[in-house]
Amino acid sequence: MAKTPIGLEPVVGSLTSSKKREYRVTNRLQEGKRPLYAVVYNFIDSRYFNVFATVGGNRVTVYQCLEGGVIAVLQSYVDEDKDESFYTVSWACNVDGTPFVVAAGINGIIRVIDASNEKIHKSFVGHGDSINEIRTQPLKPSLIVSASKDESVRLWNVHTGICILIFAGAGGHRNEVLSVDFHPSDIYRIASCGMDNTVKIWSMKEFWTYVEKSFTWTDLPSKFPTKYVQFPVFLASIHSNYVDCNRWLGDFILSKSVDNEIVLWEPKMKEQSAGEGTADILQKYPVPECDIWFIKFSCDFHYNSAAIGNREGKIFVWELQSSPPVLIARLSHTQSKSPIRQTATSFDGSTILCCCEDGTIWRWDAVPTN
Amino acid sequence: MCREDSCLHLSAEEEIAAEESLSIYCKPVELYNILQRRAVRNPSFLQRCLRYKIQAKHNMRIQMSVSVSRIVNEAVLTQSLFPLYILLARVVSDVAVAEYSAVYRFRRACILTSFTGIEGSNQAQANFILPEINKLAVEAKSGSLAILLVSFANGGCCLWGRIPLESLYFSWEKSPNFSLGQRAELRLPVDMHSCLLKLTCLNEDKCILIQNLSNSLLTNQSLQLQVIISAEEVGAKEKSPYNSYTCSGISSSSLSHIIQLRAGNVIFNYRYFNNKLQRTEVTEDFSCPFCLVKCASFKGLRHHLPASHDLFNFEFWVTEEYQAVNVSVKTDSWRSEIVADGVDPKQHTFFFCSKQMRRRRQKNLVQNARHVRPVFMESKLHAGGGELLDKVHGGTILQNSRIGAVEYAQHLPSSFNVAGVSGAVGQSYSDSERIQSVSGNNLTPPALLQFAKTRKISMERSDPRNRTLLQKQQFFHSHRAQPMAMDQVMSDRDSEDEVDDDVADLEDRRMLDDFVDVTKDEKQIMHLWNSFVRKQRVLADGHIPWACEAFSKLHGRDLVKAPALIWCWRLLMIKLWNHGVLDARTMNNCNIVLEQYQKQDSDPAKG
Repeated sequence: MAKTPIGLEPVVGSLTSSKKREYRVTNRLQEGKRPLYAVVYNFIDSRYFNVFATVGGNRVTVYQCLEGGVIAVLQSYVDEDKDESFYTVSWACNVDGTPFVVAAGINGIIRVIDASNEKIHKSFVGHGDSINEIRTQPLKPSLIVSASKDESVRLWNVHTGICILIFAGAGGHRNEVLSVDFHPSDIYRIASCGMDNTVKIWSMKEFWTYVEKSFTWTDLPSKFPTKYVQFPVFLASIHSNYVDCNRWLGDFILSKSVDNEIVLWEPKMKEQSAGEGTADILQKYPVPECDIWFIKFSCDFHYNSAAIGNREGKIFVWELQSSPPVLIARLSHTQSKSPIRQTATSFDGSTILCCCEDGTIWRWDAVPTN
Repeated sequence: MCREDSCLHLSAEEEIAAEESLSIYCKPVELYNILQRRAVRNPSFLQRCLRYKIQAKHNMRIQMSVSVSRIVNEAVLTQSLFPLYILLARVVSDVAVAEYSAVYRFRRACILTSFTGIEGSNQAQANFILPEINKLAVEAKSGSLAILLVSFANGGCCLWGRIPLESLYFSWEKSPNFSLGQRAELRLPVDMHSCLLKLTCLNEDKCILIQNLSNSLLTNQSLQLQVIISAEEVGAKEKSPYNSYTCSGISSSSLSHIIQLRAGNVIFNYRYFNNKLQRTEVTEDFSCPFCLVKCASFKGLRHHLPASHDLFNFEFWVTEEYQAVNVSVKTDSWRSEIVADGVDPKQHTFFFCSKQMRRRRQKNLVQNARHVRPVFMESKLHAGGGELLDKVHGGTILQNSRIGAVEYAQHLPSSFNVAGVSGAVGQSYSDSERIQSVSGNNLTPPALLQFAKTRKISMERSDPRNRTLLQKQQFFHSHRAQPMAMDQVMSDRDSEDEVDDDVADLEDRRMLDDFVDVTKDEKQIMHLWNSFVRKQRVLADGHIPWACEAFSKLHGRDLVKAPALIWCWRLLMIKLWNHGVLDARTMNNCNIVLEQYQKQDSDPAKG
C-alpha cells in the first residue's frame, strides 16, 4: 500500500452515534438451527419492495414485511440434497417481469426459482466449486453474475440459461472470489473481490455482443460460445486480508475486509493499461468486532445508508453520502449475540433486517420521528 | 499332453469361434517364447524363482547318525556314562593355548542319554549332515574334522574320545553299500580318556579346550566304547520322481495314471468358448504352462500364476490323486490387452479413471441436476456419471488424427466467428458476417489441402464399443463446464483447446497498443498479419509465399484504399524477402494483385 501524501488521508468516521434515526426491534424469527447466510430485499421489482428472501442450509425462504413489524412467510423451497448449504441469494427477473429467486451455495449449482409459479426455472451448472455471491444487474435484471470459490466470476442469462462470460484466467483472482457487484449505471463494469486480498474491476464492453446474443440464442445453451475474460481493467490492493464484500457507490467502491472497517475508495483507471490504475481511499467507516470473514453489508435503494452487522450481534448503520462519515445508529439487543452474516436495508432505509449464525432473523424498524 | 473334451457337438462356425477363444491361451505362450528366444543371447532379468531350493533338493548329502551300543570294558566306569555329548568339531590351530592339548571348535552338541536299542530311550542317536562324499574328501583328508564324544560323568573329571573323520571317509569310500546309495554301518571302538575340559565361546563358535590328564591315581586303562556310525547318501532319493506319491495297490496300467502320480505333475484345465469346452494339459516339475518357469512346489505355482499371468483366473485344487488348476479367461472388458486384427490401438479411446479422487460433491452435481429436470440436459444421466466428472479431459476424446482436410475447410466459417461452434449453428448468425466469412473461405481450401494431405479423416474410425460408452454418460466441456450435447460428443471436432480467435485478436490489439514507437498504420498491418497467420496456421517458412499472396488477395481491397497501409504491407514483404522466406516472383504476384485492385477501384470512378 502506497504512502498517502499529506492531506489525502482517508477520513475516518466516528463511532459516536448521531442518533439521526432510532430503530427498535419489531420482530424476531427463528428459522431453524442452521446459520442464515444471506438476506436480500427485492429491489428489482417495485411491486415487491417489501419482499425479502433468506437462505440457510438447504432452504430458501421468501417473506414479506408487513405493517406493525409483522413478517409473513410467503414461500419456502428446500433442496433435495440435505448437504447443500446455500450461501447467497439474489432477486432477478425474466424479460417479462416474472420474479426469480436465485440461490446458490456449496454445491456450486445456481438454482433459479420462478417465484410466480413456485417452480424451479433453471439450474446452472458450471462453477467448479461453491458459490459465494450472486448479484443481479439492475439495468438488465435477466443478467446475474456469480462469484465462486473456483476463482472465477461468471455472467449468466437467467432467461435463456446461458453462461455468457467467465472472468478468470491469467489476470483473474488467485483465490476464492467472495463478492461481486454490478456498476449501477455503467452496464459494462463489474467489481469483484476475494481471498487474494484484491478488488478487480472487469469490463464487458468488448464482449457486449455476446451478452446481447445470449438473449436471442435459440440453440442449446451449452453450445453458446462462452468467452473468457482474462484481464481486468483495474486491480487494487487496498486491503491486506480477505475482502469479503464490495459494492459500487456510484463510481466509487465500498469494500470491506476483516479489519473492522468499510473503506470507500475511488478507482482511477488509466485508459489503456490495466495495471497502472490507482486507488484513492476516501473514507473509512469503522465497524468494531467485525473481524471474521463472510459478513456482508447492505445499502438502501438510494445508497443513503449502509447497515452492517458484526460478530457480536450488533448492527451499525452508517450514512454513506456524508463526509466525514456519520453513524446513524448503533443497534444492539441483549439477546442478539450471534454473528450477523448479512443485513438487508429496505427501500427507504426504514426497516433493517439481519440474519444470524444461529438461524434467527431480526427486524428493526425505524421509530417514526414526530 | 493334451486331452480334449468333445462332448459338445459344434457347427463349423462354432468350431471356428471355439478355436478363436482357445487361442487366447496361446498368445501369452507365444510372447514368452519370443522373450525366451531373445533371452538366450541377451538375458534380460533374473526372475525370482526358487531354483536354488529345487537344486538344493537335488544335492546329495550324507546323513550320518552316531550312537553308542555298549561299553567294552565296563569295569573301568565308575559312574554313568550318560549324558554323552557328541560333537562334530574342527581343530582350532590358530589359538595358542599352551596348557591345553587340543582345542576344538563346534557348532552344536547332540546329547545321547542311553545306549542304542534300549527301550524307552529318549535319545539314542545323534544325527549329522555332511556334504556329499566328493566334497567331503577335501575336508576329511585335511585331518581337521573329527567326531568328539564327551562325557561329564566322572565327578570333576571328564571323559573324551575322538573319531577322526578321515577314517570314516575312507571306510565309506570303500563300502560297497554306501556307493550304491544304501546305508553303510560301521562299528568302531573308541577310547575315552579322562581330561579337563573348558568351554568357551569364541566368535559365535563354541570352543572346547581339552587338557589330557595323565593322572597316576586313575587307572591307565581308558574306557572303551563301541560306537555305531551309520551313514547314507540322501538327496538322491528325490531323483526318482515316483517316490512321493506312491500309492500301493493301484494298477498302473495306463500311462496317464502313472503320470498323475509323479510329484511335480500338475494338470491344467483350460476353459474356453464361454466355459463350455475344456482342454487339458499336464506339466512336470511344477512348471508354469505359459512361461515354462519351474516352481519349487504347488504352493509356489499357486502364487506364481495369479501374479504373473493376469489375464486368467485360476482355481487350484488338490486331491489325493492329483493336483490340478482350472484356467479361465478374465472377462474384464476395460483391460483388454488383446487387440483384434485390423484395429489400430492408437485409434482407441483412452479412458482414465482415478478412483481415489472421487469427490462426493461432484457426484451430487450430477444427481441434483437430474432431479431438478434442467431444461438443457439432453441425455439421461447414468449413475456412473460421477466417475467421469473426474476425468482429466472433461468432454474431449483423445484421438490420434484430429481434423481432416475436408473438415477443416468446412469449419473455416466458424473460425471467423467463434470457436467451438459446429457448422450448423453458424446459420443463425447475421448475414453480413457470413458474407465476410465466405469471401475468406474461397481462398484457403486449395492451399490448405496441400498442408493437410497427411492428416487422415477419422470419421469412420470410431470403435462401436466406444461409441456406446460415450452415449451412456453426461459429458461436460472442459473449459466452460457446460454440459455437452450428444452430437458434440460424437462429433470429431475437439474445440476445447483451440485458440479463441476473438479473444486472441483482442489480446493482439492490446499488445500492439503497448508499443509507443509504432505508428497506427504499422500497428494495423501487424494486427492484420498476426490475425491472418493465426487463423490460417502459417507455421513454416515454406508457407510464407502462399500466405503473402493470400493476404494480398484477402485484404487487397482495403489496402488500396489506404496508401499508408499499402506502404506498410510492402515494407513487410520486403522484410520477408530480406529474410529469404519470400521469393521475388511471389512478391511480384502480390503486387500485381494489388495493382488489379487498384485498377478496379479507380475504374468505377472513371466509368
